Amino acid sequence: MESKAGTTETRSNITASDGDQVAALESLQFTDEFHRLILAPPSDNATSLTALLELPASRALELLHSPASAKLIAASASSFEALKGNFLFPSNTTLIDQAARSSVFAGGVNNTNNKSNAPETTSNNATLNLEKAVKSEPAETESCQPLVSDPAVEKRNFKRKDREKKAKGSTKKSKTAANDSSDGPEKLPYVHVRARRGEATDSHSLAERARREKINARMKLLQELVPGCNKISGTALVLDEIINHVQSLQNQVEFLSMRLAAVNPRTDFNLNSIFTTESGSLPDSNFPSMVMPLIWPEVQVNGNKQQHQQQWQFDALQQPVWGREVCNNYITPENSLLSYDSSANSVAEVELFSSNGQWTTNKQRCMQIKLKMEL
Amino acid sequence: MRSPFSLKQEFLKKWILGLQRCRSSKKNMSIFKRKKVIKLSADVAMASARKGTTCWSRALIADAVKEGNADKHLAEKILGPASERQPTEKVPVGAMAYNKRIRSKKILKRSSVIRRTIKCAPQAARPSSIVKTLVGKRRQILRSLIPGGEFMNGVSLIEETLDYIISLRAQVDVMRSLASASKLVNLN
Repeated sequence: MESKAGTTETRSNITASDGDQVAALESLQFTDEFHRLILAPPSDNATSLTALLELPASRALELLHSPASAKLIAASASSFEALKGNFLFPSNTTLIDQAARSSVFAGGVNNTNNKSNAPETTSNNATLNLEKAVKSEPAETESCQPLVSDPAVEKRNFKRKDREKKAKGSTKKSKTAANDSSDGPEKLPYVHVRARRGEATDSHSLAERARREKINARMKLLQELVPGCNKISGTALVLDEIINHVQSLQNQVEFLSMRLAAVNPRTDFNLNSIFTTESGSLPDSNFPSMVMPLIWPEVQVNGNKQQHQQQWQFDALQQPVWGREVCNNYITPENSLLSYDSSANSVAEVELFSSNGQWTTNKQRCMQIKLKMEL
Repeated sequence: MRSPFSLKQEFLKKWILGLQRCRSSKKNMSIFKRKKVIKLSADVAMASARKGTTCWSRALIADAVKEGNADKHLAEKILGPASERQPTEKVPVGAMAYNKRIRSKKILKRSSVIRRTIKCAPQAARPSSIVKTLVGKRRQILRSLIPGGEFMNGVSLIEETLDYIISLRAQVDVMRSLASASKLVNLN
């Protein structure tokens, strides 16, 4: 499209003039408003550019202060299928790649200060856009999601707007750069929407289109979040996948809670008793800190017992098995525990058997529950 | 802020606190009651970890402590004395008015749709309407899945789904690792 060619040209001009910061943003596509902003006084360039790119993502800002936390977020969003008990390091790098490619924050921490002030400077004053934008943006700023793919969402937002705009026939509804940069820091950012050639330009259809675009952007986010949704096209099928995913997660919670209830058939049920026996008598506030080392093997623990090391090796062995299986197959890891556990004495084996036996009857009940839920 | 690791930490902390609060009544429970306690405390901990910023978390807690619920006392015990409960960031009053508006709109819509379908021939032949009904049905299902989903309109539904999925994942992670850890502890 000629408009895209035009944008790429202006973008290349920008990179020549602005250097590293804009080079990091080169992969993103901008609408004409951004070009005007760029051609405005260079002191405001970087801030307004980066500001516009993350209009609703004020919370994502704080999140993505460092590349490390960006990886964490990507890991949590993407590591569901590859549960290896490895919470700190990403096992699926696709989201990280996307974040790296599209992230404004690839430029580093320096940008964040500018960005936190800058979103507010992009407000417009009195055009048709604003009434609709006022409605849409407060909703966005109130409930924005701290996902690493928020920059990706902005990118797509801008792409969509770019595609919709035709260079010659479009009506321009956005303010110029001069006004943008002169606004105070406390106003809300606005969505820039263009009316396509031949489309109705009244505020209602504009509002409708902005709303639809927002919904589509969020759907893209969801598609990235739910594994296996990237290749599906069409809202209905994607929604199907999302529904299945939510249902499976809820089922997993049910099964896991049943499993936790069953895991200590002989001892008095009290998860805390596990922690107290391991860590002695501690005040409540220390429980999380003691629990975490027990659970997350990667965390360094002071005063390790030898047994803990063995436990963690078991854990590392178990996790790949558990990560791959579906929630119905809870029998298999316990069987595999028996096979791995060369050092277990007879008492331990008996306990496992008893919990196994109990688990089978519970498993049937859980299957019933699952079937009921899937209706 | 809402990085996943701190979310899990917070969830775990609150869950343990909640379980401790239920400790006294746990002596002679059957396994299913225990399971209910675990699940309830986990859900409440998850919801309170959001500190009232999202609609589903508020709806989940409100549902747990509403009047007709069998486990209301349990939920209240888990949540702790009222002074400890987290103040919600959004004003619930405004949300209630908004909910009522949405509900009345839906009732109006449903009644008008019924009238329309009785009068005119079904227009499902048009592809756009087919797609709309397909998507609409799925949206209904999604609304029924997410706690408090009936009150959300299109955009917020998707945002709430996003947040809910993330929270559920964190919850599953923590519970799974806890189960494995306790299993290994039992071995010794």
